[in-house]
Amino acid sequence: MAEAILEVGGLVKHYPLTQGILFRKQIGAIKAVDGVDFTLHRGETLGIVGESGCGKSTVAKMLVNLERPTAGSIKYKGEDLTRLTGRALKAVRRNIQMVFQDPYTSLNPRMTVGDIIGEPYDIHPEVAPKGDRRRRVRELLDVVGLNPEHINRYPHQFSGGQRQRIGIARGLALRPEVIVADEPVSALDVSVQAQVINLMDRLQNEFDLSYVFIAHDLSIVRHISDRVGVMYLGRIVEIGRDAEIYDHPTHPYTQALLSAVPVPDPAARDRRERIILTGDVPSPTNVPSGCRFRTRCWKAEDRCAQEVPVLAVPAHLGDPTGPAAHDSACHFAEAVSIRRSAPGQTVLPEPTP
Amino acid sequence: MLLEVRDLQVEFRTRDGVAKAVNGVSYGVDAGETLAVLGESGSGKSVTAQAVMGILDMPPGRITGGEILFRGRDLLKLREEERRRVRGAEMAMIFQDALSALNPVLTVGDQLGEMFVVHRGMSRKDARAKAVELMDRVRIPAARERVRQYPHQFSGGMRQRIMIAMALALEPALIIADEPTTALDVTVQAQVMDLLAELRREYRMGLILITHDLGVVADVADRIAVMYAGRIVESAPVHDLYKAPAHPYTKGLLDSIPRLDQKGQELYAIKGLPPNLMNIPRGCAFHPRCPIARDLCRTDVPPLHKVTEVTEVTEPDVADRGSACHFWRECLHG
Repeated sequence: MAEAILEVGGLVKHYPLTQGILFRKQIGAIKAVDGVDFTLHRGETLGIVGESGCGKSTVAKMLVNLERPTAGSIKYKGEDLTRLTGRALKAVRRNIQMVFQDPYTSLNPRMTVGDIIGEPYDIHPEVAPKGDRRRRVRELLDVVGLNPEHINRYPHQFSGGQRQRIGIARGLALRPEVIVADEPVSALDVSVQAQVINLMDRLQNEFDLSYVFIAHDLSIVRHISDRVGVMYLGRIVEIGRDAEIYDHPTHPYTQALLSAVPVPDPAARDRRERIILTGDVPSPTNVPSGCRFRTRCWKAEDRCAQEVPVLAVPAHLGDPTGPAAHDSACHFAEAVSIRRSAPGQTVLPEPTP
Repeated sequence: MLLEVRDLQVEFRTRDGVAKAVNGVSYGVDAGETLAVLGESGSGKSVTAQAVMGILDMPPGRITGGEILFRGRDLLKLREEERRRVRGAEMAMIFQDALSALNPVLTVGDQLGEMFVVHRGMSRKDARAKAVELMDRVRIPAARERVRQYPHQFSGGMRQRIMIAMALALEPALIIADEPTTALDVTVQAQVMDLLAELRREYRMGLILITHDLGVVADVADRIAVMYAGRIVESAPVHDLYKAPAHPYTKGLLDSIPRLDQKGQELYAIKGLPPNLMNIPRGCAFHPRCPIARDLCRTDVPPLHKVTEVTEVTEPDVADRGSACHFWRECLHG
C-alpha cells in the first residue's frame, strides 16, 4: 500500500452546551465527533458514509482546519496539524483543500469566477506570481471542463453542475495533495452527478490526488472509493476496502444501512430482505453507554450497554484473511452473504447459517 | 380514473421573460394506484402537482391550458370555495420539508385537529382526540403526550410522519407526495416509505409520488411518468420501464446509476445540462443532449407515441406505454 498521507488518531470534537448569561457554566456537550481514527494513503479515495448528524462533516472541517479538534491528532505526512500554528500551519493547510456540498452558497455571488478561483493565490502568494494568476485560472477552468473565456462571469450565470466545477477548480488552485469533498454531488441533478464524479476521477489520476469523499449516497461512494468508513453518532463503526464493506458487512448498522437503500430495480422489490431499524438516531448530547448503536440494534445484549466495542478485526469471525475480516466495532459482528440482482449493486443481506 | 390531467400548460411570467414550466402534461391515477413522476429540478414535476392541488402561486404562475379532472369534475372550473373543500378532504399533499410545512408556533395536536375543526366542524376536544388517534396510526410513540409538543421537538422522520398523518386525516382519495423522503436519512426513509405504502393500501388511495430517485420509484411505484423540460417523455408500467426504456433520457438516467461491474471505469453521463425553461430547444427538448438525435429531432416536437412493440425483456402486456421520442423503437431495442 502507498505511503500514508493523512493519519487521524483519536479525533474528538465536542461543542460545549452552556447555561446562564453572566456565569456561563457548561452543562453538557454535543459529542459531534467522539474518537475517530483512520489513515488516508497517497492516491487513494477514502469514502465516509453515514446519516445526518453522524459527524462526517465535522470530521471534514477538522481535516481542513475549519474547526479545531477538542482532542486527537491529524498528521499530514507525519506532522501533527493540531499542534501547528501561524506560518507553519498555513504552509500545511495549502496541501489539504476542500470541495463543499452546496455550490449555490459556497461561492461568493459578488465575485467573478476568476476572482473566486484566484483567491487562494492571495492567501498563498508564493504559489503563483501575480502576473501569472489569470493564466493559471484560465488553465484551471479548462481542466475542470469550463470555458476559459467565462473567467469574468459571476456564479449566478452558471448551472449547479458548472458551479460545482468552479468549486473544484478553486480547490485545485494551490496544487493540494489531499482534497476533502463533503457531499460534492448531493445538491446536483441526477444527470449531472455522473459528470462531476467522472471529473473528480480524472483529476485524481491527473494530479495524483488523495480524496476523502464524504457522502450519504452509498452507490456513488462505492463507485469512487477504494476504502470506505461507516460512521454512526460520532464514531467509525466499520471500515475496510469497498468490497469488504459492501459485500461482507459485519456491523449491524452497516447491514441495516445497506439493506435500506432503495434498489433501482423493481424486480428486486419482493425478493429484497430489508432490515428496517426502529427509532431515530439518539441525540449526540446524550450518547448511549457502551455501544452507541445498541438502542436501535436487534442484536443488543447486556454486554453492549456496558462495554464499548473497539474498532478492530473481530477475532471470532474465523478466517483472518477472508473479506469479513476487517475492522468492525461490534461485540457480535457477524458475516452475512450478499445476494445481488441486476442491474447494479442490489444488496440483499441474509445471515449466513 | 380517479384523477386525469389533460394537456396541462403552466407558465411563469418573470422579469426576464416567460418560463414555460409545464408544456402539455397528461397523466392519470386510479384509486389504489401509485404513479411515480420522475424528473430533475425544473422538469415541471412539482409545478404540475401544485396545479392539481390548487396551490400554485398565481401570479407569477398561470395555467394557460388543459384540464384537471378529479372524479370527473374539472378542478380548474371550480370556484375557489369549492376548490378549498376538495383540497384537504378529497386530496392532500405531503411536502418534502416538513419543518417548513408545519406551523412552528402551533402544537402538532392543534395543527392535526384543525383539519377536523375546519372541514368536519368538530369541537376542539374531539379534534384533539382525533389527532392522538392519527399520531398512533402513523406510529408516533407516546402520542398522548407528544400531541402537545411543537414541530421543532420532533426528529425529521417523526415530523414527516406528522405530515403523513395530516394528509390522511380526512381520508382523502388522492395523496400527492412531493419528494417525501428526500430530506430524510436512508434508514428513516425506509420506515416512512413503508408506512406510506401500507396506509395507501389500507385506505385504497391513489398516490402520486414525485421524486428524482430511481431507487425509491423502483421500490413502490406501479406506473411511472418521466418528465423533462415540462413534458412527459416516457410513461410506462414500472417493470417495463426499468427493463427496456423507450426514451433516450430515461435510458441515460438508468445508465448513469453507478454499477458494480463498472467500478474503476467512467460513469455513463448524459452530456450537457437541463435546458433553461425560458429558452427550451426547438423540436425535442432533449435533442442537444441526446446520443441518437437526428435532423427530425431538431425541428419536430415528438408526440407521445404509443409503444406497441414488445421486446424479449418486456412483459407481453405492454398496455399503455408511451414514449415521446421519434426513434423510440431504436431506443427500446438498443
